[in-house]
Amino acid sequence: MSDSVFTQLLDLACGAFLLTAVVVLWRRELSVIVDVFALQGVALATVPLLIGWHEGRWDLAAVAAGIAVLRAGILPHLMRRALTATTAPPHADEDEDDGASYGTNGPYGTASWDRTDGAHSPERTDRTDGTHRYRADAGEARETQPLVNVAASLLTAALLTLLAYAVSRPLIALDPSPATRALPVGLAVVLIGFFVLTTRRRALSQVVGFLLLDNGITAIAFLATSGVPLIVELGVSFDVLLAVLVLQILTTRMRTAFGTTDLDDLRELHD
Amino acid sequence: MSGVGVAAVAAQVLVVVLGTPLLTGLMRQVRARMEGRAGAGVAQPWRDMRKLLRKTPVTPTGTGPAFRVAPALLVATTAVAAALVPLASTATPVSGEADLILVVALLALGSVALALAGLDTGTAFGGMGASREMTVAALVEPTILLAVFALSIPAGTTNLPRIVEGALHEPARLASPAGLLATAALAVAVLAETGRIPVDNPSTHLELTMVHEAMVLEYAGPDLALVELGAQMRLTVLLGLLASLFAPWGIATGASAAAVALGLVLFAAKVAMLGAVLAAAEVFWAKVRLFRVPELLAGSFLLALLAVTSSYFLGGV
Amino acid sequence: MNAHASALWLCAPVAVPLAVAALYAAARRRPLTPWAALVSPAAVLGSAAALSSSAAGGGAVPALGGLLRADALTVWMLLAVGAVALPACAAGPAYLAGERAAGRGGERFVRRYQVLVHLFLGAMCTAVLTANLGVLWAAVEATTIVTAFLVGHRRTRASVEAAWKYVVICSAGIALAFLGIVLIHHAARAAGVPEESALHWPTLLAYADHFDPPVIRLATALVLLGFGAKAGLVPLHAWLPDAHSQAPAPVSALMSGVLLSVSFMAVLRCKAIADAALGTGYTRVLLTAMALLTLALAAGLLLGQRDYKRMLAYSSMEHMSLIALGAAVGTPLALSAVLLHITGHGLAKTVAFCSSGHLLQLRGTSRIDGIRGLLAQAPALGAAFGLAVLALLGLPPFSLFASELGIVRAGFAAGLGGPTAVALVLVLIAFGALSARTARMLLDGRPVPSPTPADAPSFVPERPEGSRGEGPVAAAGSGTAGSRTAVLPVAGARPPETEARPVRLGFAAGLPLVLSLSACAVLGVAAGPLTRLLAAGAAVIGGQ
Repeated sequence: MSDSVFTQLLDLACGAFLLTAVVVLWRRELSVIVDVFALQGVALATVPLLIGWHEGRWDLAAVAAGIAVLRAGILPHLMRRALTATTAPPHADEDEDDGASYGTNGPYGTASWDRTDGAHSPERTDRTDGTHRYRADAGEARETQPLVNVAASLLTAALLTLLAYAVSRPLIALDPSPATRALPVGLAVVLIGFFVLTTRRRALSQVVGFLLLDNGITAIAFLATSGVPLIVELGVSFDVLLAVLVLQILTTRMRTAFGTTDLDDLRELHD
Repeated sequence: MSGVGVAAVAAQVLVVVLGTPLLTGLMRQVRARMEGRAGAGVAQPWRDMRKLLRKTPVTPTGTGPAFRVAPALLVATTAVAAALVPLASTATPVSGEADLILVVALLALGSVALALAGLDTGTAFGGMGASREMTVAALVEPTILLAVFALSIPAGTTNLPRIVEGALHEPARLASPAGLLATAALAVAVLAETGRIPVDNPSTHLELTMVHEAMVLEYAGPDLALVELGAQMRLTVLLGLLASLFAPWGIATGASAAAVALGLVLFAAKVAMLGAVLAAAEVFWAKVRLFRVPELLAGSFLLALLAVTSSYFLGGV
Repeated sequence: MNAHASALWLCAPVAVPLAVAALYAAARRRPLTPWAALVSPAAVLGSAAALSSSAAGGGAVPALGGLLRADALTVWMLLAVGAVALPACAAGPAYLAGERAAGRGGERFVRRYQVLVHLFLGAMCTAVLTANLGVLWAAVEATTIVTAFLVGHRRTRASVEAAWKYVVICSAGIALAFLGIVLIHHAARAAGVPEESALHWPTLLAYADHFDPPVIRLATALVLLGFGAKAGLVPLHAWLPDAHSQAPAPVSALMSGVLLSVSFMAVLRCKAIADAALGTGYTRVLLTAMALLTLALAAGLLLGQRDYKRMLAYSSMEHMSLIALGAAVGTPLALSAVLLHITGHGLAKTVAFCSSGHLLQLRGTSRIDGIRGLLAQAPALGAAFGLAVLALLGLPPFSLFASELGIVRAGFAAGLGGPTAVALVLVLIAFGALSARTARMLLDGRPVPSPTPADAPSFVPERPEGSRGEGPVAAAGSGTAGSRTAVLPVAGARPPETEARPVRLGFAAGLPLVLSLSACAVLGVAAGPLTRLLAAGAAVIGGQ
């Protein structure tokens, strides 16, 4: 592959990478955010693929495939599961059986069960066969007022991009090449991910922010040095996967305990 | 100062002024057909203008020169912009002065004139429409400037014909992240500037949801015809700008009459196609609530800013 | 030491805890005795002892093709981990029995607890033993994930909140540390380090003076921020009090004693690279700033503290900031003091948290005002808690006195007199707050209303070691459970005085606490055979 074609394709992939991060800031519906994150995983996987193709290293192609499977497949799937769990009516977890048991009969619950820790119950509508059916909570499916409103967040994202360009000048100067010239994109996504993590109110948005952070760091790793050693990459991927699993379970528990995944309600522990 | 160049400028302005109602008619017809209606025909806007021009001019009491001057000023500024933007040819006598900032300033002048007219009427709806229009304009003007500026960085100048010629010679620039981001940003900005869905519904009759229409509620007769023509011409000019920047093939770069004629025909075809696509898309979109409009526009501003930064830093071009 | 033996001793601290975890997970029909948990810390201590002779001479023992490596710092940290894990694992049976008696701990809970604790130990030992920065990072991140369900083991709102904040803040912070490691990798490759050893710590240290300074500056700042988050330093410290107050007491002990120290060890390793590349000034400024800010925050929040577990958590932050200050100073004296402080703090904190766990099971409340006259009511428990707090306050003969003295002396000698003086003032404030609250808990003799009429006697018979150690304070717990709620006395009965019968701690629960406190005191007097190891460890991280 010639140098100019490689540069163009790499720039396109990085541009798409940054654009998906911006769209995550822009949109409010959590399902759209998760889908856009999956697209970002595809864009991220293209980067090592292109670099491997250009340098003739086929192990990078395998790494690209792994990244695509993890970040465009498994992680969005886990997040969609968390989303359906939090927009469905709150019911007892099926993965724990010690402690208080809620005696559920499937996803819509029986007519009577005990709540021991003060979560509010959503509305009920009766069905004709006598069981109660809970209406899915649409308010959970979208990001409510974030800490910084959308317009201001977008402008902040612009500032963060400029900051990323300024900060990464010494990094590019160390080893100028088409790949390292795209480093600011990775750093911008890291900063945007951190911003999403700190200013969003829904639990799932925080998870997306953390994953944006991680995607950005992986992009920097590939653009700067064609990736970290394989064992480290495996360790990192495994850790991220487990972290998202843990967060997914915690989101479900949060919904059960608090009745909502709004992080502003996490106010029990303070000094 | 060639004759062909002068003819090209004149032809551009004439085609825009006379062809705009056709474009509007086409868009309404496409929309009607998609919605399952028969539609009023492509020539209906011409018939409407003919009807309006024959009516008696009426001016509300208490309005001043701002109200009277606005329609003519709107049409005039848009016509001058149509002359400057390289729609059919980049080798015209005015090419040297056809600066991006001048074109955006002319379009802004038209908006401001209309907003002042809306305020001048002293009605509640006029003021409401004027303030909403200025809010949108305040967010859109920087976006248009930045989006075209992103394309001007590789060309090294903000002269529009030079930018278009640069894009003609190096089409790969358009497929770069800067080009794509600038396209997206400019498309959203054009929608906002011309008052189309999702920012404003041009065919609404509910005053409280109006942005552009509320400013012109008090116009009647020939003034109304001019105002409508001016608004439609802005759409044509902006769609033409979009087409010239991002699909410049067919624009004449030399002084040959045949090339200019071809350029005009292709310009008409491109704008008609863009208009049809826009009308078809509008069938599926809903108008965004007014307080969400700044979000949409901030997003397009960010895209334009990212286009500028990536054309500075990426690719080394 | 030949290759096989070194491989054995280096793999044991990782493999044994993982094996014990697997055993616990697999034993479903007949659950394994909780006392089997002591095998892991014993293996860790054994490896440390076996490796100490070769490491104290300044050499390093590699294994597995350089993936694992034991230098003096590693051996010292293994000692610290083992010394802290031993009492924490020994307190496990009592804790689990107490939970079972309170109706909260089923079979599955017990199994999960043991599996997670041993996975945690295995991950910590991996982080300590590895020479590859990437594997170090992965191990530290793995501990976050493993302890998430230990912190959030209940379904209460406070528990879920603590677990959420812990996972999110620590993972985000650690991600920043990974960015720093990626940048170090970038600088290393640009300086010519071959690909396969570009994350190998000794190689990086050797090539460090060729690294590009601006890149290493950025990388060091990120690493300090990221691993500092895991160590409880400002600005990403907010998870610490919540997680420590919600986790089970033995787990809090492990986190405070082991996790914070191992994260700081990661900071020290990267600091060594940064100092070789940039000179000591940059890290000195960063670490001093972080240390003073953390100390100010901890001292300030200790002043108004109402929960004793949070109080102990803030005390951990205070000691971590002293460790950071010592690392900032960077002289051999300071670094030796830092290493000594890590171990001493771990030992004292373990005793404090374990006894606070017993206290929680005894009184049922974690509020400081809910505990009065502890020394009178439960003398052994109160003495253990009180001595642990005395150790944490930095009083002789405990080793924290010696290490704090060392840090202060080194600070004044190295020209950091101003920050050291500020730190001393803040430590004094924390001293006052901590001692006032503890004194109130231990000594105030006014009885809290406990409306138990003359029913079950509130003492526990002594049990020999080796029994299953079921809840030495469980029986007492049921007797004084009424003190949780301030109830009007039953008609006619007067509330009895609290010095009716003192509660005893029990041999099985008390022995580990006594041993830890003694070890802390002995270390404070003389380091003995560990002196060479201490000096060698300090030399490893750059105190020449």
